[in-house]
Amino acid sequence: MTSLTQDTDPIPRAERPAANPPPFPPTWALKVTMAVTGMAFAAFLAFHMAGNLKVYLGAEDFDHYADWLRTLLNPLVPGEVFLWIFRVVLGLSFVAHVGSGAILWYRARKARGPHARKILVNRISARTMIWTGLILGSFVTFHVLELTVGMRPMASDAFVQGSAYANLVHSFSRPAVAFFYGLTMALLAFHLSHGLLSVVNDLGATGRRFRAVWFAIAGIVAVLIVLGNLSIPIAVQTGILT
Amino acid sequence: MRLILEVWRQESPTAEGRFTVHEITDAREEMSILELLDRLNHQLVDNGEEPVAFESDCREGICGTCGVDVNGVPHGPRDNAPACFQHIRALRDGATVRIEPLRALGFPVIRDLIVDRTGLDRIIQAGGTVAVDAGTAPDADALLVTHADAESALDFAACIGCGACVSACPNGSAHLFTGAKLAHLALVPHGKKERGRRARAMVAQMEHEFGPCSQIRECVLACPASIPITAIAAVNKERLRAAFWTRDN
Ligand code: FES
Repeated sequence: MTSLTQDTDPIPRAERPAANPPPFPPTWALKVTMAVTGMAFAAFLAFHMAGNLKVYLGAEDFDHYADWLRTLLNPLVPGEVFLWIFRVVLGLSFVAHVGSGAILWYRARKARGPHARKILVNRISARTMIWTGLILGSFVTFHVLELTVGMRPMASDAFVQGSAYANLVHSFSRPAVAFFYGLTMALLAFHLSHGLLSVVNDLGATGRRFRAVWFAIAGIVAVLIVLGNLSIPIAVQTGILT
Repeated sequence: MRLILEVWRQESPTAEGRFTVHEITDAREEMSILELLDRLNHQLVDNGEEPVAFESDCREGICGTCGVDVNGVPHGPRDNAPACFQHIRALRDGATVRIEPLRALGFPVIRDLIVDRTGLDRIIQAGGTVAVDAGTAPDADALLVTHADAESALDFAACIGCGACVSACPNGSAHLFTGAKLAHLALVPHGKKERGRRARAMVAQMEHEFGPCSQIRECVLACPASIPITAIAAVNKERLRAAFWTRDN
């Protein structure tokens, strides 16, 4: 077929839709991955927070709970097998969440083009997802090294493997750690609220009532997780927990 | 009204672009952004200069041809109105107004304020059509569509394809556009026949040229057709459905 336009014509001709495959992995699949793993993290955080509150019941209860977590589903699943399955699943979700986020961030940055966009309604949480996410990621690493692995200098000098209550109190007695923990909880509020709001769009919920109910639940869950967790370092710093 | 215009001038897709500054002393409040550009072009032609190239057609908000960024906002300061409906009474007397083409990687500049929006056409070409034999108009009531579905389909069909959503988006995403078409055609009897195939093809084509959506929701403010945010959800809804339901419908 001969071209109707001369080659010198500066106006690009509309081409047929591309025949080659679109970028891989597909953007929609990455968004779904982020939504699913993100919801798994939110559910994990909700249970984690509820467990954390046991600290107010005293050392014995808390340590007993910590021990129960390690041997969850015993004797059906022996020893710490379930714990490790749980860890592997969370770890893989973490990698998938961070990996998808990085690819999406890069694609978004590229598709914007060279001109910065003006924002009318500054939805800070939406625009800082990558940064709150990065800080939360490093916090999780710190948190695991400190209270699970017990690696110094992250862990306090008084760290003893297995005595969860004492380790927690010793850790949060250090003002810098209590502050870092509090700060990440504030960032978590941003990350979680935008994440949970985005889930409805990423998973394609279009119903008006479902969206309204989900937004309400998401908001309440995010606030509860953050407030519940935040209370603990404050309680340690103010001497309520010793 | 007196206005200082900073207008983007760019000779060709490959040329360097730059802003040139012009003064309009006799602007009137009821002028639209497009009429302001007309006024500027008269002034330029009178002075023997090249007029600014920009697009417009109906000038009544239905064709989607117009579209420029005004002070960094697609179409202009008022929410949900096309450039042809944006009156300059929204601007202060003596203000500096920066007019530039719609910005996104998917919208390369052709000349001055005109951008190439054929990326959106390609998304429609990929599947935003009804390709089944629809026959002649059926008897009334032979094909039942509920009132709610009809209203909803019409709301999504209101998209005029101007591209403001893409330009408003810091991610250069065309989700609002694509989702509006997917949601519209998924609601009507003939469109439903190709629901799955359409979702796969249109989303794939969209991902070739446009970015991901991170729910910043600037598009919803810019959209002159007031397409609702649920169009965004419709993209993943239709695509996810098509991932599990692998047939054409
Ligand atoms: S010129 Fe037709 S919509 Fe503005």
